[in-house]
Amino acid sequence: MAIWRHLTHGLRVLTRRASADRDIDDELRHWIDEAAAQHVARGLEPAAARRAALAEIGPPTLVRERVRDHGWEQWIASWLQDLRLATRTLRQTPLFTAIVVVVIALGTGAVTTVFSAMNAILLRPVPGVAAPDTLITLQPARRNGATAEQVGYPRYLHLRDHGRSVDGIAAWGRAQFTIASGGEGTAVLGNLVTANYFVVLGVSPFKGRFFTADENRTPDTHPVLVVSHAFWQAHLGGDAAAIGRPISVNGHPFTLIGVAPPAFRGLYTGMVFDAWAPVMMQPQLRPRTSMQHGSWLWAFARLRPGTAAAAAGAELAALSEAHHRSIGEPDTPDALSRMRATPFTGLPGGSGPASTFLGLLLGAAALVLAIAGVNVAAMLSARYASRGRDLAVRAALGAGRLRLVRQLVTEVLTLFGLGAIGGFVVASAATTALERLPLPASIPVTLEISPDLRVLAFAVGLSLAAGLVCGLVPALQAARRDITDRLKAESAGSGRRRSRLGPLLVTGQLALSLVLLVAAGLFVRAMDRGARVDAGFDRDGVLTTPLEPEAWGYDTAASTAFYAAVRERVATTPGVSAVAFTNRVPLMFGSSVDEIAFGTATRQAHYAGIDEGYFVVLRLPIRRGRGIARTDVDATPRVAVVNETLARILAPDGDALGRTFRFRDADTTVVGVARDAKYASLDEATPPFFYVPLAQLRDQRRILLVRGPIAAGSAIVDAVRARDPRLPAPSVSTLADDTRIVLFPQRAAAVVTGGLGLVGLMLAALGLYGMVAASVARRTREIGIRLALGAERGEVLRNVVGEGARLAIAGIAVGLPLAALSMPLLRQWLFEIDPVDPATYAALSLVLGAVALAASYLPARRAAATDPLRALRTD
Amino acid sequence: MHDEPSTDVIQGTLDMLILKALSLEPMHGFGIARRIEQTSRGVFKVNPGSLLIAFQRLERDGLVDAAWQQTESGRRAKVYSLTRAGRKRLDDETAQWTRRAAAVARLLKADA
Repeated sequence: MAIWRHLTHGLRVLTRRASADRDIDDELRHWIDEAAAQHVARGLEPAAARRAALAEIGPPTLVRERVRDHGWEQWIASWLQDLRLATRTLRQTPLFTAIVVVVIALGTGAVTTVFSAMNAILLRPVPGVAAPDTLITLQPARRNGATAEQVGYPRYLHLRDHGRSVDGIAAWGRAQFTIASGGEGTAVLGNLVTANYFVVLGVSPFKGRFFTADENRTPDTHPVLVVSHAFWQAHLGGDAAAIGRPISVNGHPFTLIGVAPPAFRGLYTGMVFDAWAPVMMQPQLRPRTSMQHGSWLWAFARLRPGTAAAAAGAELAALSEAHHRSIGEPDTPDALSRMRATPFTGLPGGSGPASTFLGLLLGAAALVLAIAGVNVAAMLSARYASRGRDLAVRAALGAGRLRLVRQLVTEVLTLFGLGAIGGFVVASAATTALERLPLPASIPVTLEISPDLRVLAFAVGLSLAAGLVCGLVPALQAARRDITDRLKAESAGSGRRRSRLGPLLVTGQLALSLVLLVAAGLFVRAMDRGARVDAGFDRDGVLTTPLEPEAWGYDTAASTAFYAAVRERVATTPGVSAVAFTNRVPLMFGSSVDEIAFGTATRQAHYAGIDEGYFVVLRLPIRRGRGIARTDVDATPRVAVVNETLARILAPDGDALGRTFRFRDADTTVVGVARDAKYASLDEATPPFFYVPLAQLRDQRRILLVRGPIAAGSAIVDAVRARDPRLPAPSVSTLADDTRIVLFPQRAAAVVTGGLGLVGLMLAALGLYGMVAASVARRTREIGIRLALGAERGEVLRNVVGEGARLAIAGIAVGLPLAALSMPLLRQWLFEIDPVDPATYAALSLVLGAVALAASYLPARRAAATDPLRALRTD
Repeated sequence: MHDEPSTDVIQGTLDMLILKALSLEPMHGFGIARRIEQTSRGVFKVNPGSLLIAFQRLERDGLVDAAWQQTESGRRAKVYSLTRAGRKRLDDETAQWTRRAAAVARLLKADA
C-alpha cells in the first residue's frame, strides 16, 4: 500500500509539476502568515512581523527546492532534464550526431545481422511446437558415438512400442508432393509422418483434424492429407469447405482432412513443408524406399514428465541395440546399432558445423563493432576536448562532477540508443539481402533469418554496452580534467592538448579492418580455387534432371519404359552428345555408403548406380578394363567399376581387374578401374568408391545427365511431357550450378566478410580522415606561419599526407600479424589455400594503404590551401 | 543546510514529534512546528523545510492524512491529521523511546 502511495504521489509530482509546486508554495505562504500573525500577537508591527517570519524561514524558493528534491521522482525528473539537455546539445551539432549514430548503427547492425542468422538457425525453437524443451531428437549412433540422422521404420516401431521413458515417439520422412485440387498441380515439399506426429509435437489443427492412430495401421489404405496454413490460403482459397474434399497427390486420390496452424512449417530449419500424409502411404508417395529397409525417417520423442533426457537416451539406446541384435545384424563398429538422444532443434543432424561457421562470422562482425566503437570513442573524445570549456564553466558554476558525468553519459547513451535503432534497421535490411542471396537452384532451402524481438533486445543491449565502454571513458576523462587549467588554457587560445590516444585508436581501426579484408580475400581465393579444383570429371556442359515417375504410380516396368523413351528422345536432340542415368550426382548432398567384404576384410565404401553413358557424359576416364555396359542387367553376374583408391585397397600389389568383393550379399566382380574423382566435397580425402549398374541396384532414384547445350533443357521437358502429360515439368539445371552448392560456405563467408570488411575499411577511413582533419584544423596557425615563412604548399601537402601514411603503415604493421594469427582458424574452409597467403596479404595491405592515403589527402589539400594571413589573424 | 546547529532535532525523532503533536488534534504545518517548540520549551526548533519533507514522507507512508482547507483570509491551508496506522506507529515509537531513554539514563548515572 505504502509503495503504491509513494508511486502515485511521485507520479503526480512528475506529471503535474506546476500544481505540485503551487501546493508547496501555498503551504509555505500559509506558514508565513501564521508565523507573522504570531509575531503580531507578541506586539510587532505587521510589516516587521512579516520580515521576521521570512527571516526565520529563509527564502521560500530555496525551501521549495529542498522539499521538491526529496522524493524519488526527483531522480527521474533530473534524468529527464539530462535527456532534454542531451538532445538539445546533440541537435546543435547535427552532422556530428548523424555520423556517430550511423557509425554505431553500422557496428551494431553488423553484429546484429549475424546474430539474427544465428538466432534463426541455432537458437529459435522450431516454430509452432509446444514445450520444445521436453522433446528430444533421436539419432542412430555407432558404438564410438558417431551419429547419423535417420532411422528405418522397423527400428522406429520397436522403440515406439517398448520405450518407457517417453510419452510418445514419432517420426517423419521427406517426400515430393504435387498437389492438385481441380486444375494445375503445385509441387511442394511434403512429409510422410507417423500418426502420432502432431500429438507428440503438441500441435493442434487450425481447421479439420490431424491423423488418428488407425491411420497408422495398414499400408496404402489411408489417403488423407493435412496441408499448411499457407498452402490452404494460397491454393485452396482459405475455404473451410475444402476440408473433406478430394484432392490429388502425385496423381493419387486423397482427401483433405485438416489444416496446420500458421506457425507450423515442419521440423527442418531452412525447409518449408506444406503437406503431411500418413507414413502408411509411403508405397504411393515415396515408392523407391520401403517400410522394411533403408533409413529415411527422422525420429523424435516427448519425454515423460520428470524423466531426464539422459535417462531416456540410455533406455532407448539399450532398446535399439537389442533390436539390432534381434534382427541378426552383425554388430560391427561401423553399424549404427545405438541411439542417441539430443536436444530437439530444427537441425536433427546436430548444430556443430553451423555453429562453428556462424561463430566465426560473429567474430568477424564483432571486429566491425570494435572498429565502430573505437571510432566513436575517438569522436567523443575529440568532442569533449572541444567542449572542455563549456564543461569547465558548468563545473565552476557548481555542477557536481557526478552530475557532469551523468550528463555526459546520458548524452552517450542517447547516441547509442539511436544507434541501436539504426543497427536494427541495418540488420533488417542486411538479413533481407542475405535471404535473397541466390542459393543453388536445386536446393529447396528457405532461409528465414529476419530479426525478431530477441534480436532487437540483443541489438539494444549490445549498443548500450558498447556505449558504456566507448562513452564512459572519454566522459570520465573529460570530467576529471582540472577546471582552472582548462579555463586558463582555453582562454589563452593555445589550442587543445594533442591527444596521444587518437593515433592509437586510428591505428587499431586500420589494423582490425585489414584483418577483415584479409579474411574476405582468402574466402574469395578459396571460392576461385574451389571452382577450379580438378574434380576428376568435366563439370561444364552437363544438364541434370531428377525424374520420379514412381511417385505418379509407375511400376518398375513402366518406369523402365519411361526412362528408355526419354533417353531416346533426348539423345536425338541437336547438340546433345551423350545421355546417361545415375542415382547420385557427384558433389551434391549425400552419398550412398555400404559395407563391402573381400577376403577376410570388410570396409565401408561409397558407391553410385550408373549406366553405360555415365563415364562418357562426365568425361571421367576409365584407366583399365571397361565401363558399365548396357548388357549388365539384373540377370547377368554382378559387376562393378572401382576407383583407383579402391583398386589399390582390393589389390595392393597387383591388378584389381577380375577381383571380387561382396556387396549386398552378392559376389561382385571388378570389370574396370576409373580415375579417382571428387565425390562428396572438393577438399575430401579420396574415399574408396565404386560404380555398379543401375539395373543391378534396386529401388533407386534416377537423375538424367545430358551432355549438351543449355537449350537442350526444353527438349528434356518436352520429352517427359510427350511421354506423359500428367507428370509435372521436371526441373532442369546444370551440373556446374548443382555442384556449386559445395562452395556455398565459401560464398556466404566471402559475401559476409567482404561486406564487413568494406564497412570496417570505410569506418577506419572515416576515423583517419577525422583525425587528420582535426590535426590540420589545430595546426592552422602553425601551417600559416610555415607558409608565411616560405614553405612550399607541396611540402605542407606531403607533410599532412605523411601523417596519414604513418598511421596506415602502423595499422598494416599491427594488422598483418593479427591476421596471420587469426586466419588459420578458417583453414577448414580454404581448400588448402595458405591462411598466410602472401599475395592476398600484400594486395589487401595495398588497398588499405591506398584508402588511407585518399582519406588523408582531402584534409591535406585543405591544409595546403591555407591562406597565411587569414590563419594568423584567427584566434 | 539552513538549520541552526543548536536547534537540531535528534536524528530520527522528528517523525515521532510530529505524530505526537497530531495525536491531540489535526493541525497545519506551522501549528505543528509551534506545538513542538512550545511543548519542548524551546529546546527543539524545526524549520519548515525539514518539516515539509517529513510531512511528505509521512503522508506517503500512510501515517498522516492531508486535506486542503480555506482560511478566513481566503488562502489555502494544508491540515494534517493522524491516521490509524500513524497512531499505532506513535504508540510503538513512544514505547521504544521510553525504553531506550531509560536505559541511556541508567548508563549515564552508573558512569557518574
